[in-house]
Amino acid sequence: MPHGDATSPPPTAPGRGFFLRPAEWALVLAIILAVALTAIVDTNHSYWFQPSASLRDIARNTALLGIFALGATVVIIAGGIDLSSGSMIALSGTVCAATMLLISPAAMIGFKPAGPVAVILGCTAALASGFLVGTLHAWLITAIRLPPFIATLATLVGLRSLARALAESATAALTPSKNTLINVADPFFKAIRDNVWIPVAVFAVLSVLTWLLLTRTVLGRHLYALGGNEEAARLAGIKTENVKWFAYCFGAMTAALAGLFYVANESAASPSNQARGHELNAIAAAVVGGCSLAGGAGSVPGTVLGTIFMRVVIDAISKIIKTGADVYEGMIVGVVVVIAVTFAQLGQMARGGRQLFPGALGLCIIPALALLAGGVVAMTAGSRAGIAAGMAALLMLGGLRAWEARRSVTAS
Amino acid sequence: MRGITKRFPGVVALDNVSLAVGRGEIHAICGENGAGKSTLMKILSGVCRPDAGVLEIDGESRRFTGTREAEAAGVAIIHQELNLVEELTVAANIFLGRERRTGLGLLDDRGMAMEAARLLESLECPVSPWATAGSLRVGDQQLVEIAKALSLAASIVVMDEPTSALTEAESARLERTILRLRDQGTTILYISHKMDEVFRLADRITVLRDGRHIRTVDRGATSAREITGWMVGREIEGHAFHEHRAPGDTVLTVRGLTLPWPDHPRGYRLKDISFELHAGEILGVAGLMGAGRTELLETLFGASANTWTGEILLDGRSVRFRHPREACDEGLGMVTEDRKRLGLFPDLDVAANVSLCSLAEAARGGLVSRAREEALVAGPVAATGVKTPGVHASIMGLSGGNQQKCIISRWLLTKPRILLLDDPTRGIDVGAKAELYTLIDRLCREGLAVILTSSELPELLTLADRIIVLAEGRLTAELPRQEATEQNIVEAATI
Repeated sequence: MPHGDATSPPPTAPGRGFFLRPAEWALVLAIILAVALTAIVDTNHSYWFQPSASLRDIARNTALLGIFALGATVVIIAGGIDLSSGSMIALSGTVCAATMLLISPAAMIGFKPAGPVAVILGCTAALASGFLVGTLHAWLITAIRLPPFIATLATLVGLRSLARALAESATAALTPSKNTLINVADPFFKAIRDNVWIPVAVFAVLSVLTWLLLTRTVLGRHLYALGGNEEAARLAGIKTENVKWFAYCFGAMTAALAGLFYVANESAASPSNQARGHELNAIAAAVVGGCSLAGGAGSVPGTVLGTIFMRVVIDAISKIIKTGADVYEGMIVGVVVVIAVTFAQLGQMARGGRQLFPGALGLCIIPALALLAGGVVAMTAGSRAGIAAGMAALLMLGGLRAWEARRSVTAS
Repeated sequence: MRGITKRFPGVVALDNVSLAVGRGEIHAICGENGAGKSTLMKILSGVCRPDAGVLEIDGESRRFTGTREAEAAGVAIIHQELNLVEELTVAANIFLGRERRTGLGLLDDRGMAMEAARLLESLECPVSPWATAGSLRVGDQQLVEIAKALSLAASIVVMDEPTSALTEAESARLERTILRLRDQGTTILYISHKMDEVFRLADRITVLRDGRHIRTVDRGATSAREITGWMVGREIEGHAFHEHRAPGDTVLTVRGLTLPWPDHPRGYRLKDISFELHAGEILGVAGLMGAGRTELLETLFGASANTWTGEILLDGRSVRFRHPREACDEGLGMVTEDRKRLGLFPDLDVAANVSLCSLAEAARGGLVSRAREEALVAGPVAATGVKTPGVHASIMGLSGGNQQKCIISRWLLTKPRILLLDDPTRGIDVGAKAELYTLIDRLCREGLAVILTSSELPELLTLADRIIVLAEGRLTAELPRQEATEQNIVEAATI
């Protein structure tokens, strides 16, 4: 029976069809849980009283993150990594604003419409800058043979600095005073800011196109093959350099596209802090959505769900904690990423008899985790609750370790 | 060692092997690839554990659970692939894991370096203990490994083909060292393919074949010819397929092919190779490990890292492929040696693994449809007889034989005229091998030209019309099937 039987694809196969895999259903469930929890725990109950405003907020942020998370997904599937997308966003926004400033300086300075020519050329220049940066990455990685981590680490720091220099010299040359940001008041960008459906529609269309690319084109298959086994891909006659070139250009150009929406959102290109650190959110969204950093595995539905999940969690933090939520954002995102990825491996851990707390390392990590949990709770909910939480964590984890140790003894 | 048995999934690597080695003797162990030499030595040095049998050292029964325990009992092994940390100094490598400390608990680098210098001097090795291991030549690295064994005060030293990467001068120096160690009372187990070396050094010689102990003899009581006869000594399995095949026109001519090997004392991976390949013919390439079989196929396929010299003619036309893609376009296909590492895509399903090189044929307007892809792969999957629960099953769930059929199917889809098969039946069980033989024979009768390498001589003798033999990168014999025997192939391969 060489073929004909309908069997399920292997668990890590590229996404086929619209049907989600178990891990993705789990993400859907996690999203629903996070929303429900926020609706209940949030003392203002804003999900109940202002559902449309909340939804708009999450939708805009999801679309903005999702656009370049799709780029990160393609790069990661091809076995690479792009750390530079946050800086690429800053550069693309600055290139767009500087181009518009160059074409119609008077209108830009006077917060007036800059005209369609300026807008079109500005956006084109921004996307072109993405293509150039992607090409630079591909060259550094395939010809100079830098590891992708190093190449994009260099552009992570380099591109933001370049963007700041560009903003300062453009404003120095074309406006009365040197400035670190360029204001963009064109109605085109205002319209984008005021109509949430635009970024959402762009994200949706880009998702479908990326999904088609990855599941229905030869190039998409070659991306999976490259990430899964680079040497075998080369020996199968795939021009791996060209496939990598595409992947890094796609990554940088989606970030460039996202850069335009960042400019619209803030009515300015402000390279010193726009999208700073957001590249890690994009990578986290892809990884939570099932991408393997080893390459060869990942899907668009997974990344879309991973992005929604990330944004819902961040929104939940700001709703629940209210003042100073951004202080805790990084911590909670970090914990959520670890839990989401660990969750995907739990089954494998149980089957392989792998221990969560092996040996002396396990003994040391339990008080460390308890201290961390207690400390965080103490800072947010008072010292008494903190001590209780710390003790509870200590007892729970200690119990888990004792159970693990007994299991491994009986197993051998 | 008595009654040692070791099984790996699908094969019995060692079958009830018994071996007695006297103190202070040099004991050579000979056998073909896969005879079980390395496995036996791994058991002796604690790298793996036997499924049955007893290991006695000085009359005391031992059961090592790791190399540390074996080292403590005085057994040191020098692997064919060296185990040095290239970034660390020579002295640090020699004492790795057993570092000496000063009274303060800090590393005693000076003390270790002095001890290392003493050991290296005793081995005629002129390197500084402070040099980084990676900066040394292979021959000196080998001596550093031996110094490491000496620093353990090992009474038994196992060497697995130590001269495979050495120049003649380095080999001679190593031989002197080995003789000196023997005179100091160290027992040496010496694994080698090279008959001249074995006969210069060994006091006694043991021959293994197919995981079984064949014979142990004194050096004086035998000859190189007798040893190679014992190494080979089996009936040719199955029947020869080559009969009634009628090779056609010449499709590929190779003249004076030389592939350089920078930073290696030999200087070349392949030297001055010339041969012809005809349509409807299977050309076998024999040779020991490291003889250059894989390098030859990779060079033909445009996949070698270095620039070669010489001439490759395809249908009389000179070609120079710079990327496997160009070779594919000209009708070549290559089934790689290491299926897991160089052939399979573990994350892709069976259909995607098969369609990989010709997926564009399943695309309309740039989009691939699942139905067209299934139709595309159905033909070759049925023709090669892949047994799979479905074309969308995981490739990793298939047996080795079926995985290999999938890779052959992949290349059949590109409609090749020349198929390069690099050790295609390695790690495949006997039944699946027979199926692959039938498949390769059928493809050849349909006019495909095949170059086949194999680490198993019976396989070449079963399938090939002609056999060329490589030894250390040179072509040492070209034998028509009628004249080829295991004996004369092994002789040509061990020159």
